[in-house]
Amino acid sequence: MADYDRRNNGHRGGGGGRKRRYRDDEDYDRRPQRRRYEEPLFVQIRRQLLTIAESAARRVEDDVVSIAKTVAENYEDEELRNTMINISLDLVLEQPMKIPFVAAVALFAYKNKPELGTELINKTATILQKNIESGSWREVKLLVRFLGCLQPLFVGNGIFPLLEEFFARAVDLQTTSSEDLLGLELVKIILLTIPYIMSSPATGFETLASSLLEKTEIIASTPHNLVDLVKTFGEKEDETTSGASFISVLQNQLQGEASNQWELKCLSRPWRDARQSDSEDQQPFEVVTKIAFPEIKVPSPVPFGPRALFPEVFLSVYANQEVDTVPPISDITSSLLRDAMVDTLNNLDFNRVATAKYLIDVDCYYTRDTFVKRATPFDRMRDMAGENKAWKPEDVAVDAVFSQLFQLPTPEHKLVYYHSVLTECCKIAPAAIAPSLGRAIRFLYNSLETMDLELSSRFLDWFAHHLSNFGFTWKWSEWVDDLELSAVHPRLAFINGALDKEIRLSFAQRIKGTLPEPYLPLITEDKEKDTPDFKYSSEATPYAKQGQELMQLIRKKATDDELQPVLAAIEEQAQGQGVEEPKIPSTDALVTSICFVGSKSLSHVLSCIERNKDRLLAIGAASEKARLQIITSVMEYWADQPGIAINIVDKLLNYTIISPLSVLEWALTEHVDAGAILAKSHIYEMVFATVGKVTNRMRQIVAARSQKTLYEPQLSVLEETLNRERTEMQNLFKFIEDSLVPVASGSNDELMERGDGSGESPEHAMLRQWGRRWLRVFRRKALVEEAFIAAALLNATPVGTQAPAGEETADTAADGDIAIPDAGANADVDVDA
Amino acid sequence: MSTLAINTVDRLDRPSAYYVGKNKRRSRYNDDDEPEREDPMAKLKDATTLYVGNLSFYTTEEQIHELFSKCGEIKRLVMGLDRFNKTPCGFCFVEYYTHQDALDCLKYIGGTKLDERIIRTDLDPGFEEGRQYGRGKSGGQVRDEYREEYDPGRGGYGRAYDEQRQREEEQYGEGR
Repeated sequence: MADYDRRNNGHRGGGGGRKRRYRDDEDYDRRPQRRRYEEPLFVQIRRQLLTIAESAARRVEDDVVSIAKTVAENYEDEELRNTMINISLDLVLEQPMKIPFVAAVALFAYKNKPELGTELINKTATILQKNIESGSWREVKLLVRFLGCLQPLFVGNGIFPLLEEFFARAVDLQTTSSEDLLGLELVKIILLTIPYIMSSPATGFETLASSLLEKTEIIASTPHNLVDLVKTFGEKEDETTSGASFISVLQNQLQGEASNQWELKCLSRPWRDARQSDSEDQQPFEVVTKIAFPEIKVPSPVPFGPRALFPEVFLSVYANQEVDTVPPISDITSSLLRDAMVDTLNNLDFNRVATAKYLIDVDCYYTRDTFVKRATPFDRMRDMAGENKAWKPEDVAVDAVFSQLFQLPTPEHKLVYYHSVLTECCKIAPAAIAPSLGRAIRFLYNSLETMDLELSSRFLDWFAHHLSNFGFTWKWSEWVDDLELSAVHPRLAFINGALDKEIRLSFAQRIKGTLPEPYLPLITEDKEKDTPDFKYSSEATPYAKQGQELMQLIRKKATDDELQPVLAAIEEQAQGQGVEEPKIPSTDALVTSICFVGSKSLSHVLSCIERNKDRLLAIGAASEKARLQIITSVMEYWADQPGIAINIVDKLLNYTIISPLSVLEWALTEHVDAGAILAKSHIYEMVFATVGKVTNRMRQIVAARSQKTLYEPQLSVLEETLNRERTEMQNLFKFIEDSLVPVASGSNDELMERGDGSGESPEHAMLRQWGRRWLRVFRRKALVEEAFIAAALLNATPVGTQAPAGEETADTAADGDIAIPDAGANADVDVDA
Repeated sequence: MSTLAINTVDRLDRPSAYYVGKNKRRSRYNDDDEPEREDPMAKLKDATTLYVGNLSFYTTEEQIHELFSKCGEIKRLVMGLDRFNKTPCGFCFVEYYTHQDALDCLKYIGGTKLDERIIRTDLDPGFEEGRQYGRGKSGGQVRDEYREEYDPGRGGYGRAYDEQRQREEEQYGEGR
């Protein structure tokens, strides 16, 4: 960690060569040098601005005034001026919780030196204009918020005409299409600007704000037809935890605030207590000469941005507690905190340590009464319940991260980013964060039956990964009763899945040591074996002799010709015994032998596969049943370590030895077991990954097809590839649909035969529920992918377009071949198997 | 992401000081003969490989795969081996298909735990045959030669020290 920290902070010579491997590195050998010069002013201001409001020990109002004063007094110092302006805008875009403070600096800078304030406003306007044109709506929101905070500097109605213009565009978009989401985004920007205007020193805008709110109501409160798709809970109507769209919640909260004289009690007003000098009495903030609001052009129609838009729902993992620890959905505080925290989280993905710090420091950036003291225990919150409403900062922070981890269809960054932020939060403030996480875990665990399956799978993955960072400690004892449940119950399925994931990140014996006694039977002796038994070692296994022979040959890296007689012998014997498809036992022997010989490590099995690739490819091509047998053999050999099994299946897909459809067939028809297989987390993982492989490839083809400088003949070639792959993808989704509908509706044959035949046992209900949950995930996936393709092709060059003379064409392979992940390279380093 | 060139906090997806320092040192020696040497940072511009360090000797490929595939599909995984014993010696190279996946790995996985050890990740210009072996005198990594602390996950004490201690112990017996 030491060298890691050093890199983060950029400290030089800190440890003085503490680490030996750096000893020969001059940079680190130098002793720390005493600073021998006065720190330049701009460095001072830079630091003061960057850390504004971060310290509870300093009055932020004093810093606001002093920064503004220093820069105004040294107006001719260009470097200082630019530093102040650039850092201000950087903070606005990267650390939105600090916007009110940066805005206060700007207000005083303008008051002291109007030229300085004007320069900052103009630069803001330039950047805003660029972001509007590129459709970067989050950046637009933040820059507009900043300008909203500066409302008292503007003549007339200031920022309101710009908001009205956004609204007009939103109306246009909404009238054109009921599916529109961009219009909703614009309304969200308007709604999230209003509170900051109203908490600025500007007065007399209540009527304008209210009339704008009246207009947005119709758009904000009409539910979008995609909201159902992204709800956290598929099966229950529970508006308090999740279900209401973020924008409709916000609209209601603002209307409440409007009738409450815009109290907006969580928002800081750092200009209010700012005094220019000690002797000065406190006065309302006013400027003598106002300026015109900068001219901003909003194109019509407004452009789509790089991020795909989906409706957002408001999720809290702390809803429905006996004592509220986070602001309720009726309180504007919930949306204002959530919005600023989520933007901070998503903007700062390049430094999770800083992100975690800012989230934990949330109480620095809002009014003092918003939060209770840090690390206040939950029980203490219960005692205080009657007193003034204040929230638990740790819960608010954790809630914000979970809202992104559980964002549907996909969050902005990789899931592991949100894992890492929670890990850092726990590292920074273990005593404060751990209990909050504990309550979140309990809420999620108790919601497993109704939660969207994709989200419960994300929960599982996070849970195991998180524990792996903290010594695998969890109070398993509290779930002991659930061990009695049916194996297909979502809770027991979760426990099994979580333990399996933990083992994958560690090893069985270690995980066993972290569990209370009642759990031990879940980790069988076979799970502790590094190398599963080779079934052909037992003479009782059919074809034992040939199986052993085959294994020896593979171990000796025999050629294909040497394997052939043994395989033929198996097939012959099978035929003699009347086996319908003799290729099945021979394939089983081959693949099981490969798994056994390659059991030492992933690279061992990969080089084994690589060496027998041609034969495996031929099997897959020759017989559908044999292709499914390849998967069966892998899954059976590694039955006790399913992580390895699905990893090998994934590589077999890359080698095209098996096809995505064969994986789905294997799981959803051959082995569906009346739906019981749907409760297995590794099966979901395998199917999800397989579908992901197909859709990723599709997206790459779409990206290639929609390149701007693409002309004939490549256009037609790519178009053809695209259409072919698109049909294949659709077939895949159709196959999933057709296989799952019978399970979900209870008309699956096997399902009907289970139990007493009535189909009405609790287990039946659970299996149908698994079917519905799976369906929901893959129907959504199908819709999202189709929407992506449609949006991307909207602006693609039409087929038949010839290159204009003299222009260079895009560098695309004419055969439409796209580089997709394949495992070929895996075998580059051939480990001696 | 910010539309401005600077960030308000440091980025975790930069090459480490170790890489930068190592190349600076080299360029100093080489300056005279090779005035037009290419910028070492340019080699990392599209890098898809990471060096992963501070692994336990007992951490398996599967464990590494399980963690690192959270940042994207892994193209190749090369375990670092003891030059003489051909056993894992606590490092590896992970190659992704895309540069972005490698950067994300620096940001989200470097400095977190695998097998209950904090691991180190560094952007790497790419694996070359031979680099999978430890360069220490005894066959492992150099850092394990002189380590004074006992590290059960990495073969106990530093090997050079271990040898010295054993020698001393033997000599102590002889002296009597």
